[in-house]
Amino acid sequence: MKTLEIKDLHVEVEGKEILRGVDLTVKENEVHALMGPNGNGKSTLLAAIMGNPKYTVTQGSITYDGKDILSLPVNERSVAGLFLAMQYPQEIPGVTNSDFLRAAINVRREEPISLFKFIKSMEQTINDLQMKEDLAHRFLNEGFSGGEKKRNEIVQMELLKPSLAMLDEIDSGLDVDALHIVADALNKLHEEDHMAMLVVSHYERFYQLIKPEYTHVLVNGKIVLEGDAELADRIDREGYDWIYKEYNVQPAAAEEVKKVSASIGTCAVRQAATTEETK
Amino acid sequence: MTPIHVTTDIQMPAGYSEYEINTDRDIEITFTAKEDSDVFVRILNTGKLKVRTFAPKGVHVNYLFWNLSENLLDVEEMHEVMGDANVTVAYGEINRADTTRNVHMALREEGATGLLSSASLVDCAKTYNMNVVNYAPHTYGDMKNYAVVLRNGRLMIDAVGKIIKGAYRSESHQTSRALSFAEGQNATILPELLIDEDDVQASHAMSMGRVDEDALYYLMSRGLSVQQCTSLISQGYLMPITETLQNDDLKKKLKEEMERKMDELC
Repeated sequence: MKTLEIKDLHVEVEGKEILRGVDLTVKENEVHALMGPNGNGKSTLLAAIMGNPKYTVTQGSITYDGKDILSLPVNERSVAGLFLAMQYPQEIPGVTNSDFLRAAINVRREEPISLFKFIKSMEQTINDLQMKEDLAHRFLNEGFSGGEKKRNEIVQMELLKPSLAMLDEIDSGLDVDALHIVADALNKLHEEDHMAMLVVSHYERFYQLIKPEYTHVLVNGKIVLEGDAELADRIDREGYDWIYKEYNVQPAAAEEVKKVSASIGTCAVRQAATTEETK
Repeated sequence: MTPIHVTTDIQMPAGYSEYEINTDRDIEITFTAKEDSDVFVRILNTGKLKVRTFAPKGVHVNYLFWNLSENLLDVEEMHEVMGDANVTVAYGEINRADTTRNVHMALREEGATGLLSSASLVDCAKTYNMNVVNYAPHTYGDMKNYAVVLRNGRLMIDAVGKIIKGAYRSESHQTSRALSFAEGQNATILPELLIDEDDVQASHAMSMGRVDEDALYYLMSRGLSVQQCTSLISQGYLMPITETLQNDDLKKKLKEEMERKMDELC
């Protein structure tokens, strides 16, 4: 049984400590929701597991299937079964989706996949995710809309069949139809291949579709609260304030919240209204 | 495929032909076209090399010089393009040996069109001096140089487009692109336009950049090694140069050779 085990993880970005001792265990076939206010370390945790070079692990350990993940380069973490569906997938001009995916499939096999078999599975996946048929020949994410980029992450996931998928706000930028398509694809991988999931999302709607069994709340670089699906539901209804009070924690990056109030738009209006009310 | 071991004058047949240069001596080769033709020249080994080509009035010729030499290639070229002739000379430089190339292309008579294009994966020293000169009115000259510079690579391109006085309504253009993978890599491109006539069009475009760290991380996060990423990105960057060849056989040849060699070199 493949288990991801994180112990006392501390992570820095550009000299600033973002994660301050995270413990987390994700077993095969489990679905975990990772929640918490913006700027408190959710994406950092996923990026550190995947091995993004901008994130430095200063303390603690990550193992997967008994292997010390932190000693592996990024590509070997992927081959070990980890997959991160990114919040902002990169555009790579000049590299076609099909060349890229064939190479990525082949590093997982002893014999290269036959062209016929590859084309067949690519077509099937494009169909599953209801992408445009010319996807294979287009350059990787170049000129894709936000929603197409997100769906293309799932196309890659379906073809590479990871044993643990991490999803970083994969649902943002998807319309309702696309959200269902993506959730169906994820559930299929979960049911058929027992793929485990560690999911970051702000939206209860997405959680309702993929049904996490565990919820973790990350505040200011630490997991302050853990629970079942009901916890995600309560956060959706009540927000995070009750957690700050009950567990006596302060969220990081208060300055980010302030930024919102300075912008023009509905958020600024709502922010102004709440300020008025509190007066 | 015709082997070339000594100084040779070649009267090219119409259509597609292949040549392979393999010699220790200094040699001179002259290619004379009579009709439209497409020429693939593989360079395996040679001493100092001189190449002359001649395109008479009205013919269309594509040359692809594919460098497979394991030693320094020191080559001087002179391309003569007569009235209404159209000549493309393409270079594939995806080998692990230095190259010094001096090229002079003369657009001699009205309506002559000439294009020099190169794709280089630079892992050593590649130095190109390219001159395209418009000697007559209504002539069109162009240069396209694409390069990916690897860790030990040094690239130097001096590209001169010249329009002499009296060559009115002529055009001289050039495009250069270079991509590197790490800091401190060495690429110099000097685009020059020397224009002595008023009624002309001329342009040069250049871009130099480094591969985005985030792009590498993204590809690696799907299981590709650094070497595989380098090869994929380089292929994507250099492949558009194959479009400069107007002959499909040559285009295909260049694509295949590039894919094969780039995996080796990256």
